[in-house]
Amino acid sequence: MNLFVFLQENYSTALYLTWEHLWMVGLSLLIAICTGVPTGIFITRNKQLAQKVIGGANVIMTIPSIALFGLMLPLLAVFGHGLGKVPAIIALVLYAELPIVRNTYVAIKNVDPALVDAGKGMGMSKWQLLREVEIPMAVPVIIAGLRTAVVMIIGIAAIAAYVGAGGLGVFIQQGIARSHESMVLAGALCVSLLAVAVDLAMGFLERRVTPGGMKP
Amino acid sequence: MELFPLPFEKVLNRPFYEFVMIEYDSVTKVFGAGKTAVTATDNVTFTIERGETAVFLGPSGCGKTTLLRMTNRLESITRGNIRIRGREIREMNAQELRLGMGYVIQQIGLFPNKTIAGNIAVVPRMLKWDKKKIDARIDELLSLVKLEPGVYRNRYPVELSGGQQQRVGVARALAADPDILLMDEPFGAIDPINRDQIQDEFLRLQAQLRKTIAFVSHDIHEAIKMADKIAIFREGRLVQFDTPEIILMRPADTFVSDFVGADRALKALGLLRVKDAMNREPRNLARADMTATETLKFIEDNNFAHVIVLRGNRVLGFVSRKHLKFERGNLEALAVKFPEELGIREPLRDALSAMLLHDLASFPVLDDNGGFAGTISYKNIQKSILELYSEYQDE
Repeated sequence: MNLFVFLQENYSTALYLTWEHLWMVGLSLLIAICTGVPTGIFITRNKQLAQKVIGGANVIMTIPSIALFGLMLPLLAVFGHGLGKVPAIIALVLYAELPIVRNTYVAIKNVDPALVDAGKGMGMSKWQLLREVEIPMAVPVIIAGLRTAVVMIIGIAAIAAYVGAGGLGVFIQQGIARSHESMVLAGALCVSLLAVAVDLAMGFLERRVTPGGMKP
Repeated sequence: MELFPLPFEKVLNRPFYEFVMIEYDSVTKVFGAGKTAVTATDNVTFTIERGETAVFLGPSGCGKTTLLRMTNRLESITRGNIRIRGREIREMNAQELRLGMGYVIQQIGLFPNKTIAGNIAVVPRMLKWDKKKIDARIDELLSLVKLEPGVYRNRYPVELSGGQQQRVGVARALAADPDILLMDEPFGAIDPINRDQIQDEFLRLQAQLRKTIAFVSHDIHEAIKMADKIAIFREGRLVQFDTPEIILMRPADTFVSDFVGADRALKALGLLRVKDAMNREPRNLARADMTATETLKFIEDNNFAHVIVLRGNRVLGFVSRKHLKFERGNLEALAVKFPEELGIREPLRDALSAMLLHDLASFPVLDDNGGFAGTISYKNIQKSILELYSEYQDE
């Protein structure tokens, strides 16, 4: 029950760290969407490029997050941002790219060729086809990619506490350092709850944006 | 333009392109290059006239779909030209060209994210029609393809059956009232019962609209039913381009005769109408006020199987020898009703079927108002087939 006592005594810190965690993840996701979705669409026009881009994103995924922070530290130190929010957000964006780019690519590629044929045959331009048919058809799969990405980076953001980015990782990191069991547990619990809540919200969004005629 | 010299145009006092819509001029398409090159269409030349339905027919891989897809530039042309109303399509903007032609495909291709109304509105919206005009057009088209606008306008494609979806597909292609329709096996994915019905409806629609239609099919029955002209392809070459009658009766070579099948005389029955074969001056007629004895003598003297009983120009039925023996009174009460009625516009196939089914050697034929127009018998049918055959043999 020490956990609850701890949370009761530190609830304002917990709330602040949750908020900090959330906005780091939110900002990273926003950047990843703005770069990842257009990239995913763009690479549908060129298969070789698609393989390279997705391969590259896969390589980034294999680097352990703590190692990535370590690798970025000397590079960003040049600009005076070796520690703090900047390396954290850069890493989160990089990790979020793969599920977003891959899902966008797959979703657009898997649009029924008959629909593309019908659209072209009716006189749609490439842009009209994308806007009227391909993107609406792809949106549910793209959202599913976002869902994967956001749950994953909520977890990774907890590690960003090691580079001084703040967030709920602070509880975990300091708890471990001080052998304060309740503190570690509190951090872990908050991160988990946050991930579950965001996942549910994204699931709701996924159903909402599925066009009427495509709901299962 | 070279096909008709100028004086001809002047005599007719109207431009050539008032009646030629699509010209295929030595159209060749080669896929790939070098050793792996495949010639999909090879030097294909023919023209489709305004308001005419041309069916591109042939086994799969004969180049018919490629030719259709070249017509709206979904495929590029390797050599040769396609002209629409005299304009070379390669000099036109591809999108503009496509906006001016309806396109219907076998997979139907309705956009599942759009409602029925949204699907039909696609081309009018690209043409920047105002909303009121689009809405009115949607309702008009839905009624035209026999779908209640109030019921279907806001539904999604998944909620419709295959046949209904393709009706919407046709409506969508007609949305901006294009002169030309390109149809790639449009009824191929629909079950046989619905297919027959939707074909009939489409024929009725086409009789009103008189669009110029390029229609791809691999089904000879469909081709005979839908076509004004049939273009038969084999391995990319145009083997024969003629009316269905000529294709059936005078196939250009063994490939065509094999393709139309050994039963081509039976297929011709689906093509000929009752009015083409019927006897307009039959002798086996009796008035309703004739007596039984009188009629019996008339039948025996002429050796008829039965006589048709008329009152004015209405058919009451028929009487044969066995109905009249030992009977008194006039024919009004004795006439047996015919089990089926045949209209002048029905195909001979239906007439023959009625004869076989009801064991009657001749049937009365009714005109559009239900009045008596003549009779049709086995002999009439056979004669008309022979005539058709010899007509095209002599040519």
